[in-house]
Amino acid sequence: MEKMKLKLLYTDLKSDIDIIEKELENALNSSSHLINDASLHLLQAGGKRIRPVFVLISAKFGNYDIDNIKNIAVPLELIHMASLVHDDVIDDSDLRRGRRTVKAQWNNRVAMYTGDFIFARALEYVTAIENKRVHQILAKTMVEICNGEVIQIEDKFRVDQNLKDYFRRIKRKTALLIESSCELGAVASGLDEKNIRHLRRYGYFVGMSYQIVDDILDFTASDKELGKPAGSDLLHGNITLPIFYLKDHPIIKQFIEKASTGKVVEEDRLAMLKVVRNSEAIKQSIALSNQYLRKALKEVEALPNHQMKKKLRDIALFIGKRKF
Amino acid sequence: MNATYIQQAIEEFKNNISLHVRHRTLARYTGLPVSDESQLFYLLLPFLNGEQWDGQLEESAITVGIVHASLNEHDKIDEKNATSKEQQLTVLAGDFYSGRYYEILARLGNIPLIRQLSEGIAIRCEHQIKIYESTHYTLEEWYQSISVKHTELIKRFYQVYQFEHYTTFMHTNLLLLQLQKELQQLQNGKPSNLFMKMGESVSNDEKLLELKVLEEINSLRRLLNEYLQSSTFLKDELKLYIQQQLV
Repeated sequence: MEKMKLKLLYTDLKSDIDIIEKELENALNSSSHLINDASLHLLQAGGKRIRPVFVLISAKFGNYDIDNIKNIAVPLELIHMASLVHDDVIDDSDLRRGRRTVKAQWNNRVAMYTGDFIFARALEYVTAIENKRVHQILAKTMVEICNGEVIQIEDKFRVDQNLKDYFRRIKRKTALLIESSCELGAVASGLDEKNIRHLRRYGYFVGMSYQIVDDILDFTASDKELGKPAGSDLLHGNITLPIFYLKDHPIIKQFIEKASTGKVVEEDRLAMLKVVRNSEAIKQSIALSNQYLRKALKEVEALPNHQMKKKLRDIALFIGKRKF
Repeated sequence: MNATYIQQAIEEFKNNISLHVRHRTLARYTGLPVSDESQLFYLLLPFLNGEQWDGQLEESAITVGIVHASLNEHDKIDEKNATSKEQQLTVLAGDFYSGRYYEILARLGNIPLIRQLSEGIAIRCEHQIKIYESTHYTLEEWYQSISVKHTELIKRFYQVYQFEHYTTFMHTNLLLLQLQKELQQLQNGKPSNLFMKMGESVSNDEKLLELKVLEEINSLRRLLNEYLQSSTFLKDELKLYIQQQLV
């Protein structure tokens, strides 16, 4: 339902998104039937394709040419897909979006090779673009995403971390790739520096809000909506925004302690969820997400008049209100 | 130039690879990047043989070493259980090295090598994943997969810099060395997953597999000696070094 609502937001981009979808299929085509099966498994799981959409919309502000822009939009989605395949190995996740993960369906090694294959295809694809700056932005993003994941592992179950640590983490985990999607779309379509900056900052703010909402939903959405047990983030030791407001709550403290030793039972999870859901932490987190969205909307205002401005606003508002 | 000089060049090259992917946390949990010295030798072979070589080419060669190190990290991941912090960071070490090779080549603006290496990585993954497929492959097909794993990226590097005349040596020698290593593991009762899968090609007859692989090794050895004897462009010291490595 949510995905449909999002898709309605960019119906006028549908023909180009269909091209991207087709290109994703082509890019994942392999001589190995196992890689084909794993890739098809991933493609069928769908996804919001939010990164390619940001590339397309940003490019619309410049000299838009889908044959050129697809060479940015497709690799960005592939990089996102590949990192999810590897993340599932790291998090030992058996389910994603309600479907079995590659590592659960086959094994960790198959997931590693599939992820590496997709990463490689992403880079192969982007070499159709000769602009050195494009590659530098994308490469820096890939390295920083990894750094973010390393930090995330280091920060697991660390209760003495502060909000700055959290923001640093979600910036690299999510905001950077959305920021780069907007920036790269703008750069590849030859937009001027001032507007590239506005779009990049828009992407960053939206990305931060997107991850905060994701972190809220991990507590507030149902297991069915999430396609995995609610509260999984904290169960895996990831201290997300709502928990910063509840770190001193005895039930939360106890839950983190138990989770760090792998002793959580279903009753503990439900008790933890009840505390978070009934607390002010959710409202406070939403307020922070909205602050980022306001900043994003300010960047949109600074852009030249274009019908895509409305789209950027609508997507930002959708992100703030999405239910899962 | 003697064996010591060559060995020192390889060691320095290995250190340079490590320096280019230095990361405090990853180093603490996953150690230094894993490099195969025979592969490093072949990356340096054009330089050692006196081909035109500059800083940019050296850095490009380093990125090939980084890609190998990246994929080697992912080969360390346990099929069933990667939940330890060390394993989790090993996944990320591979991804980080992969990002770093791209970052270096992007800075150099070396798009052709990015293209060649990414094509090579994709092909390598397709071959490595074969051991998890139910398809029946012949021994020759398995030899090809071993060869792709160990030579494809170096072959791509040679292509970009017109060093293709070294491909035959590299290809024959690296396959030979790898088969020797695998055979030794088999004889020590610790065959790799790949060799266990290869066993299916000879109805899981371990003795027959050993015999067939030995035949292949001898054939490759003869071939390599022929190439070395007939080569007019490779320095004698390098020919000697290659022969010494076989012993």
